Amino acid sequence: MPNPLSSITPLLEILGKEIKILPATGGAVEDLQHPDQEEIEDIVINNEMENITAFAEIPEPDPQNIYYHTPLLSRTQKHLFQFFIDGSIRTYFLGTGIEGTRTFPIELSQIGSAVIKREDDGELRVFDHKQRIVLLLPRQNQGLSDSIWNQIQKIEKPDFLEVADFTLPDKLADIKKDPRDKAGAKARSLMHKLEIDLIKSTNSYRNENRWLIIDGAVKFVEEDIWNSWRQNPYLIGVAKSFRKDPVFQFGHRTSQRKDITGILAGLPHAHRTAVFSAFDGQVAFWYVRLREQKELDYPLMGVIKVEFPCPDRKPIPSELANLISSALIAERNVTPYGLDRRWHCSLYPIHIAEEVIKNRFFSSEVLIGCIKWSKPQIGGGL
Amino acid sequence: MNDKRNIREIGKTSATDRDPNTSDKFTFWLAPKVIVNPFDIVEVEQVSHEGKSKTFGLVTILEHRTDAPTHLANFISSNFGELTEDPNTPRQGTTVAHVNVLSNNNNIYMPVPSEKVVKFADEEGIQVALGIDTMNPENRIPAGLIKMSNGTRAVAYIDRRYVLGPESAHVNISGISGLATKTSYAMFFIQSILQTTPEKDKNKISVILLNVKHGDLLQIDQRREKESNIEQMEMWDALGLKPQPFPSDKVHYYLPRGKKMNRPNSFLEPSFYETYAYDFESTADKIDLLFAQIPDTYLTLESIISEIKEGTRNNEPDFKDVHSWTNLLSDKPLFDKQTKLAVKDWRGIRGSSIGVFRRHMRRMVQAGQSGIFVDARSSREKSLNEEILKIKGGHIYVIDIAQLYEHEQMLVFGDLLKSIYSLKAEQPEDRTEPIPEKVIFFVDELNKYAPAGSRPSPLTELVLEIAERGRSLGVILISAQQFMSAVHERVTGNCATKIIGRSSSTELNQPDYRFLDNEIKSNATRLSKGDLILSHAVYRQPVKISFPEPAYKQQES
Repeated sequence: MPNPLSSITPLLEILGKEIKILPATGGAVEDLQHPDQEEIEDIVINNEMENITAFAEIPEPDPQNIYYHTPLLSRTQKHLFQFFIDGSIRTYFLGTGIEGTRTFPIELSQIGSAVIKREDDGELRVFDHKQRIVLLLPRQNQGLSDSIWNQIQKIEKPDFLEVADFTLPDKLADIKKDPRDKAGAKARSLMHKLEIDLIKSTNSYRNENRWLIIDGAVKFVEEDIWNSWRQNPYLIGVAKSFRKDPVFQFGHRTSQRKDITGILAGLPHAHRTAVFSAFDGQVAFWYVRLREQKELDYPLMGVIKVEFPCPDRKPIPSELANLISSALIAERNVTPYGLDRRWHCSLYPIHIAEEVIKNRFFSSEVLIGCIKWSKPQIGGGL
Repeated sequence: MNDKRNIREIGKTSATDRDPNTSDKFTFWLAPKVIVNPFDIVEVEQVSHEGKSKTFGLVTILEHRTDAPTHLANFISSNFGELTEDPNTPRQGTTVAHVNVLSNNNNIYMPVPSEKVVKFADEEGIQVALGIDTMNPENRIPAGLIKMSNGTRAVAYIDRRYVLGPESAHVNISGISGLATKTSYAMFFIQSILQTTPEKDKNKISVILLNVKHGDLLQIDQRREKESNIEQMEMWDALGLKPQPFPSDKVHYYLPRGKKMNRPNSFLEPSFYETYAYDFESTADKIDLLFAQIPDTYLTLESIISEIKEGTRNNEPDFKDVHSWTNLLSDKPLFDKQTKLAVKDWRGIRGSSIGVFRRHMRRMVQAGQSGIFVDARSSREKSLNEEILKIKGGHIYVIDIAQLYEHEQMLVFGDLLKSIYSLKAEQPEDRTEPIPEKVIFFVDELNKYAPAGSRPSPLTELVLEIAERGRSLGVILISAQQFMSAVHERVTGNCATKIIGRSSSTELNQPDYRFLDNEIKSNATRLSKGDLILSHAVYRQPVKISFPEPAYKQQES
């Protein structure tokens, strides 16, 4: 079997020839992700959600009674959610590059995204899928000189291969200090770009009876995409992990101030909270309890956060929030118990989308086998 | 469902880190709605020096796998055990089939690569898979029909040279009574051999059948009363055989003499038959066969039997007046009329031993006999030995022993084997007709005559002789029994063709079934009535076959 990643070799050869390389142990080492990566991302993307003071629901909810019963609505009753999208990433540290006095990490990421379509009989199939390999390098004063960067850019690369500068401004990468973390965050941004491409691929298929569920926050998209949802929303973001620090204040008294734990601990099974407003009304969000608390270890388990894009800043009707919540409660089963520690709030088709992507990634063995530095340039001269 | 019955593409091969494909085995997942069963034969494209080749395999077991890591995950996914919970999305799963490699049409035994499309083999493919394509058409004997899940059927031919010699011989059939249809299969198979024998050779094969149960084989020349249904007729047709009874003019029935005047001791009387009986003079050299099941730790009985055999054969003075069973048991040399006791000492054998011998003999040929032992045979009562020495090629001889006592059955069975063996070993001087080149001998309940064990009886020795050297003489044993493990391993070991019907898992775990994979053993515990597993010397793996019901009349209990 030929080397499936032979197109990387010329890039590595240039780097090996032009700069000094300290290869990672074994050729490449997988960078493990932070266990609460999605929560961190939620904090970054939804940085404006710290203080929630308004509802985004009509009729406006009574602050004293913010829980609504939303009985399960199964697929056989109404098949609302038919598209599910997720992205996945696997990042490797290939080595340390040394050019002049600058030392920097060289990283490689496999990123992918998949849309799963669920048919009316419940069977799943891959609707669309994208996958790329990204070589992550820093530039200029943090990394490669312009001349080497230009040499790398000139090399012909196949569609699936991309070279990215992880020092460029990026919402997720900018908050990271460590260059390796920065590179990883940059790769996540690129993964979200793939997701956006795939969301677009569902545009003509989504309607009021066929909704899309995005894994995570909805506010990561570019402005033009966001505006396009004015005409064709029919999508929600569902977060399994979300920031735990928002404060909900409806009124001026201290007693009218609640933290998220207080709100979710009282949220009964098969209920939703009132719809809250964020981003000055551009995002409506609420929480839904999928599972009985008695089945779980602590109150925040079994709860998902639902985000609904409101580009025109209009509050959403209660009936719609009820419909979405009821349909989401039916999504609790089957569950990837034993495969995902967040099984209690996982949506199975999203889990399958992630599996589709991961199963199409090159295995670590293959990838590490494909990474061959031309010749060690480091030695007594250092 | 296999929507189109002739569907061929059914899945793709799958090799994993933990479950690799090998030269012997491979695995494939099934496309949704495809139905595959154990024993289906499949084909996969493989490399070869000429470009492409085909690897054929036999599906042994199927398993359904899901992404649930534990049963607990499924319990939780049913909303913590709610029976009415209907998940919004069915759990992802697939059925995986495990396959034993049968052959490759270009002799490439590289492991089958992953991600190759798997197809049902067609009729021609099945024959290539089993090696039938390499058999000379003249040597092909239909042994049953292979039926696949997609409706494809193929005849399982076996090689005449491995059934009737010279390459190897003998057939053994095992399985639970009533479910394994052993006798029906043996009779079908004999029909198949006879019908496919070239015309010029038809007179070179004789068949001897032992009827051991009811009147099963006592009407084989008569057509069954209830006509075969269309499915059965199609099977006969597919096998290229005619559903007909054995020809009346070629069948001979031998029934044992009974105690009732002029009536044989039989479950039913065919319209034509002969009666057989045993007098002392024709049996003296076979007395040991009567003692096959009597323990003789110190070989005293054996020494008395040897003296009697030698004495009668050499017409020694001691035996000049012994002409009947009564003479033997009530007169000299074993009995003293004066004292009305067994003699105290004879040829160094103690009187007590002679007493034991007499008691056994009296029980077997006088007090506890069914009527076949006579002091003098009438002219209508035949000696089986003499009849066997006269057998003709192309004829079928049915010997009924169903109503006989066990020791009598031993004697008849042993007598037949000895007679066949002597006929084939040395042509009788008074015989002018050519001796049949092949004598097929069918016996059910072989475990009675050749039981497993380290010390074979004289009767077992005879069976072993036939099993081990019968091939060269042209004596072919088709045997059946419930438990192969109960038969002497040297007999079953010499059978180049083994047929297994439904059997219990306890039995299948015996060492005699080592030639079957565990998966195939599991399948053998749930075979339907009339389905059999066929293991043949030419085949690389056992296959499942079915066969039509007998065309002759049968009597049930």
